[in-house]
Order: sequence, then C-alpha cells, then structure tokens
Amino acid sequence: MESNVASGTHRERTELLKAEHIDKRFGITHAVNDVSLTIAPGEIRALIGENGSGKSTFCQMLCGIYTIGGGTFTMDGAEIRPRNQVEANRLGVSIIVQEMGTLSGLTVAENIFLGHETPFMHWGIKDSRAMIREAQRLLDEYGFGRIKAGAVIDHYNFEDRKLVEIVKATYMKPKILIVDETTTALSQNGRLELYKIMDATRADGRSVIFISHDLREVLEHSDTITILRDGEYIDTVNARDVGEDDLKRLMVGREIGSAYYRADYGEPISEEVVLSVKDVTVPGQIDSVSFELHRGEILGFGGLSECGMHDVGKAVFGASWDRDGSVMLVKDGQAYLAIDSIPTAIRNSIAYASKDRDNESIIVNESIRNNVVLPSLEDLAEKHLLRNKKLTRFAQEHSGRMQTKMQNVHQFVSELSGGNKQKVVLARWLGKGSDILVLDSPTRGIDVKVKQMIYALMDELRKQGRSIIMISEEIPELLGMSDRILIMKDGRISGEFRRSQDLSEEDLIAKMV
Amino acid sequence: MEKRIDKEPSGVLAFFGSDTFKGLLPFIGLVTVIVVMNVLTEGSILQPKRIRLLLSQVYYPMIVATGVFFVMTLGSIDFTEGSTLGVASIVVSVLSFHSIPLAILGGILTGAAIGAINGFFHVRFKLQSFIVTICTMYLFRGVCAYLTTETAVPASPAIKALDSNELKIGITLAVLFAAWFLFRFTRIGNDVKAIGSGETAARFSGVRTDRMKFLVFVAAGALTGLAAFVNVIKVGSITATAGNQLETQILISLVLGGLPITGGAKVRFSNIVVGTLMYTVLNNGLVMLGLESAMQQLIKGIVFLIFVALTIDRKALKVIK
Repeated sequence: MESNVASGTHRERTELLKAEHIDKRFGITHAVNDVSLTIAPGEIRALIGENGSGKSTFCQMLCGIYTIGGGTFTMDGAEIRPRNQVEANRLGVSIIVQEMGTLSGLTVAENIFLGHETPFMHWGIKDSRAMIREAQRLLDEYGFGRIKAGAVIDHYNFEDRKLVEIVKATYMKPKILIVDETTTALSQNGRLELYKIMDATRADGRSVIFISHDLREVLEHSDTITILRDGEYIDTVNARDVGEDDLKRLMVGREIGSAYYRADYGEPISEEVVLSVKDVTVPGQIDSVSFELHRGEILGFGGLSECGMHDVGKAVFGASWDRDGSVMLVKDGQAYLAIDSIPTAIRNSIAYASKDRDNESIIVNESIRNNVVLPSLEDLAEKHLLRNKKLTRFAQEHSGRMQTKMQNVHQFVSELSGGNKQKVVLARWLGKGSDILVLDSPTRGIDVKVKQMIYALMDELRKQGRSIIMISEEIPELLGMSDRILIMKDGRISGEFRRSQDLSEEDLIAKMV
Repeated sequence: MEKRIDKEPSGVLAFFGSDTFKGLLPFIGLVTVIVVMNVLTEGSILQPKRIRLLLSQVYYPMIVATGVFFVMTLGSIDFTEGSTLGVASIVVSVLSFHSIPLAILGGILTGAAIGAINGFFHVRFKLQSFIVTICTMYLFRGVCAYLTTETAVPASPAIKALDSNELKIGITLAVLFAAWFLFRFTRIGNDVKAIGSGETAARFSGVRTDRMKFLVFVAAGALTGLAAFVNVIKVGSITATAGNQLETQILISLVLGGLPITGGAKVRFSNIVVGTLMYTVLNNGLVMLGLESAMQQLIKGIVFLIFVALTIDRKALKVIK
C-alpha cells in the first residue's frame, strides 16, 4: 500500500474513509474500543470478528444508526457525523443490514425512496406514479425486473425484499457501501447479484465495507481484511496473503476453543425421553415438526432467521396462539401431560427465554425482584399470601447466584445491560427450578464474558440432568454446545446431526438453504 | 475518553425529576390544596361542618376509584363509571322497595355485568379499553336516560333511612382494606402490575393475562355497583344525570393522586385515597369561592394538565390499552 505518500491531492485518493479512535459503550459493555482504520477508494474491506466484536456497531455509527460515542470519521478529507440514516445516505454512506430492512405496508417504490421523496414532491403532494416509474427503471437496471415497484413489499419473500434493500442502498451510488452480514439471508443467486454490485462499486472507485461470518466468502471477495476482537482493533491483512486458519486465529486470539464451549465429545445421550413433540404445526410458521428431547441433553435448533425455529420454542412453551399437534411431557416412557398453555408449561418445569428479550422474556419497566419472582409466586405464597421480605430474599439469592451487576434487586431492569438482563431471565428460571429450558438465542447481543458464563451454566445444567433446547442463529454456538442439532428450513426439520468434532459449519448450512 | 451521552441531570433538577419526588408530589399537592383553599376561604373549609360535608362527597367516588385503580394499573382505562353508577342506582332504587340486601346485590350484579361486557369486548376482540368503554359509556347513559324519561326513579324510604356517616365510612374502609390486602399480599397485585408494565412479557411469565384483565373489569364494575348503593342512600331518587361525568372525576382524582396514566410497576395504593381527597377539597373550595362553573372547570383542567405533565413516566409511554 502507498499510504506514506504525503501530497494532499494524492492522499485524498488513497484515503476515502479514515476512522480515528472510534469508541462506543452500551452501559458497562465497551462495544467498540478506540478503533482506527483507513479505507482506500476502490477497496473492498472485510470486517470480521466474533459476534460482539463490535463490527456491526462500528458500521452503525458510520451510517447514523447509533450516535458516535467518541472519535471521528473523515471522508474525502471532511469529518462526517451523520445523525440518522437518511443524512448518512446524503453524505454518501449506505448500509444493507442483516435483518429485515424494509417497512411492511409500503410499496416497493416507497421503500426504495424512503427518506428521499423530495424529487417526487410537487407542492407538497407526492407523485406516486413518477416514483413507481423511477423505481421500476432501477429494478430493471439491476436485473430484478420481476419485482414490481408498485406492489406492496409484503407480497415478496424475504430474499426479494433483500434485493429491494440492495437497490435502495446502492442506487444513489454511495461512496461507502456497507454490507452487514447480508449474504446469510440470500440464496446462491442472490449472493451472486450482491457480489456483482460490490465489484461494480469497486470498479467505480468507490468502496465497500463487507461484514461476513463466512471466511471463505471473505477471502474470495475482499481486498483487505480488518479483524476486530471484543471491540478492539487487532490487525488488517491482505486477503491474498492469508488463509482461513490465519483469520480464525486472529479472530479468537486466545486459548478460547476449549474454554469457551463445552469440551467433551462422544458422551452418550441418555435414553430417557422427557419431552415429546409430535406433528406440531403453527399456520404460516412451522409445519408438522416432531422430535424428542432427552434427559440431560442440549438439543440445538438452527436455520435461517425465518425458518420457523423460533416458533418451535414458543410452541414447546405453550405460547403459540394457534397450534396443532401435541407437546407432551414424558416420564418412564409414558407421555403423561400435554403442554397447551404457558401456565401449564411453567408449573410443569418448562422455562423459556425468548429471542425478543425486552418484550417477551422480561418486563423492562419492572424491578429485578418482581421479574425474578413472577413465575414462582405460586411456590412462594403461604396460604395464598405473599410476603415482601421472602420475595426480596428469593430474588437476591437467585440474581446473586447469576452474578447480576445491579445496585439492588429493586433496581429497574430497563437500567441493565443486555447481558445482565439475560442473567435476570436465567435467574428467574433457576429460581423456579425448571427441568426443561427452552433458550432462544441465549447469547444474542451479549459480550464474550457473559457468553462464556452462560455456556458454562448450560453445561452445568446439562450435567445435573436438565434438558435444554437451544435455538440459535450462531452456527459456532450450535456446534460447540449441542448434543444433537436439528436444522430447519421453511418450517420443517431438514436435517439432524450428532455432536462431533468433524461436523463443520458447511454441513449445517447445506441443510439450511 | 469516557463520554457518557445519557447523563442524568444533577443537583436540584435531578431531585425534581426523580421517582422520590414524583412519589411525594401527590402528598405535597394535597397539603398545598388544603392550605391554599383554607387561606382563600378564610378558614371556613376546615370547619367541622364543612369537613363532614366534604367527607360525604368522598365515599362513593373513593369506592369507584378503587376499582378503576386496578383497571388503570393494567394500563387500561374505563370511562363507564358514570353510566354504570346511573343504571345501577336505578336498579338499587327499584329493588329497595322489596328488600335492602337484594338492592345491594342487584346494584353489584348490574355493575359487574357492565364490567363483564367491557372486559369481554376488550379481551376477546382485542379492542382497546379506551374505545370499548367510550362506546358502552354512551350505551348505558342512554339506558339510564330511557329509564328516567317519564320521571325520576324514587328509592324506598327504608333505604334513605340508612343514611349515616358511620355506615358509609364503614363500607368505604372495608372496600379500601380488602382491595389493599389483595393488591399487597396476593399475586393479584403482582399480576396486575406486571400486565401494566409489559403485557407480553407478563404472559410469557405465566400470568393469565386475558383472564386477569377480564376479572379486573368485572370487579371495577361491581365496585361501581356497590357505590351506587351508597349513592342512593345519599340522594334518594335517581334522575337521568345520575353519575354524570363521574368517569372524568375519577380519572382526574387518580392522576392527581400520582397514578401513572400508563399503569404498571410505579402505581401506589395511596394514589386512590390521596387523589380522591385532593379532588374533593379542590372541587369544594372552588364552589365555596363562588366561582362560576365554567371557571371551576377551567381551573380543574389546568391543575390536571400540570399533574399529568409532572407525574407521567415518559419511558413507559405508550398508547393506553
């Protein structure tokens, strides 16, 4: 690289974006810690790191989704500090996100031009026809002509909506295009379209920041690779000079492998079945799913985000509004009780931690104490009467056991970090003494330390003979923790794997797409 | 390079924004209103005769407010108290010619039935309580007007003979004590607060949210039915306007008492008592000052606005269920 050439005009050409001392904290989590890097024009820069390493947070500050906690971004020699995504677009930064980035209820055209309607406004009235015409022209130009600009976005499936997002993010030819783990949501064809757009951006002298967990894809499609770990900048390497193993070592950096996930392989799974799920169907979500959960087993569920695995968790917990088929508790080979409502599930020792932690797992506008005791009130009551002292002691005991960082148990959950919220969720179910735990995305948005603790806890619970259903979008987590893995696709179970060191991410992905 | 973006205001400002202050505000407000009114009326509001009059106006709103307290803790709202009181009062009056216990039971059942209608539509059809109870408010106001078109409905002399402060105080205290006990020492209190703070999370924690919401509406209706009995004892005959605007009075009272309009974890049982007393003192004081009713309404409106602005929990702000 020719970064030490000092002439002013030349520098503008070798540095499109310069990030200096970028910093961000969320409560006690230091998400991005003093990261500096520069990106040249016409460069595809991959950003890799484990979950929680800060790569998405970094990009979301660059494109105005989060406010910049500290440091500066300089583009083309001028500092940029976008306050929202629309402003970032105007400054020349746009992003394609991992999750759903389109708004339902609006047309395809309205989604594409969201925040950029001005050219279509005449005297305060929107010219929908011109907007649709322009959107259709763009779609045709990208080769996505089968998508109709005038149709409501909800007519299209997840992948097509992703394509609409791609058009939305790139039609104005941003100087920096951020692709944030988008490829996991796309089929092979969609991926090829995206690579084409990335290449075109590079050929134009503009740049791409490419976030992906798929190291092969990273090596194939990027020029340079920056590695982040726990929010810190580790290194930047040339894609040409390294291999997958080098990247993995840089990403993990320490003796994690064995200490992070459970270490054992080849332990037999108990023959004893504790829960039997038969032909469970939830219209539009899951389609005749059947499986058995064994005693002391961690059963992993994996798949793409809309494959229905999250709804399996809800179905097992009796929380689906509309469910066919049966979920039965089993003892000594005999199915003895149907789980058909949440209270039945809780009373019979089933616990559930939702992916949507703030809405479904925990009442954020309540105290830690009242959250921890809520499922256990029946057990804590003496002759139907509750005593505050007893409730407080119960909450202290169990949140203390989880090492929750808090002032006291009367603190409101809304003031806690994501990791500590999850500790409160786990504390309440440990307090309830549940034997079957359904954990949906248990380490979602949680930093490495708490993650490690949750994994250790899961391993301990397993050894105590409790059973865990772990639904996860993170393949390494599935591979590292599960005794068995069920992969789902389009609402059905599409594959089953046994715990093994030889199992690779590719094996699982092959069943997902 | 540690930058905290969401810095809390410090010093005096922090105190006025704090939960401690918000908790104290109703008490401060009650004392202020009493002192101000006492000064303005040159001490006449605190005369024993006046106090007795004041108290006689407190009983039935306080009973009604107790039920509505639970509804609002859910994060819901109930606008039917006025028309429920009207219809239930008519039932009490008519039945009072047969037997007093029957009249009491009839009043309670009428109220409970109206509450059940509200709860059913709110829970079963997932309609916002705001919408449901505005509809039923007009519906039952209509029923009340229809039943009293010809002439006011009189109550039996027997029921009027019961009019004594002891009885009314007794009923009011019994209701308050029972409600406080349920709220504080049984899981009803926890469940209702949990629903108000986060209904979905409450459901996922094993709270039978639908059943609880329905029962709370029934209970609130039943309490209004009981209040109708206390009302009939006092007024003796029922006209089309019986209980008119009671719903606004109760809503204002509870908010003056410090009840967050979003319900949830921060409600206090004391909200009922403090709020009802404050409203009654304010109302009486304004009457005694000889203000026109238009002016009275204006002042009440301003006080109400100030209190909502000061006590509302913006973090928990959402549409009333």
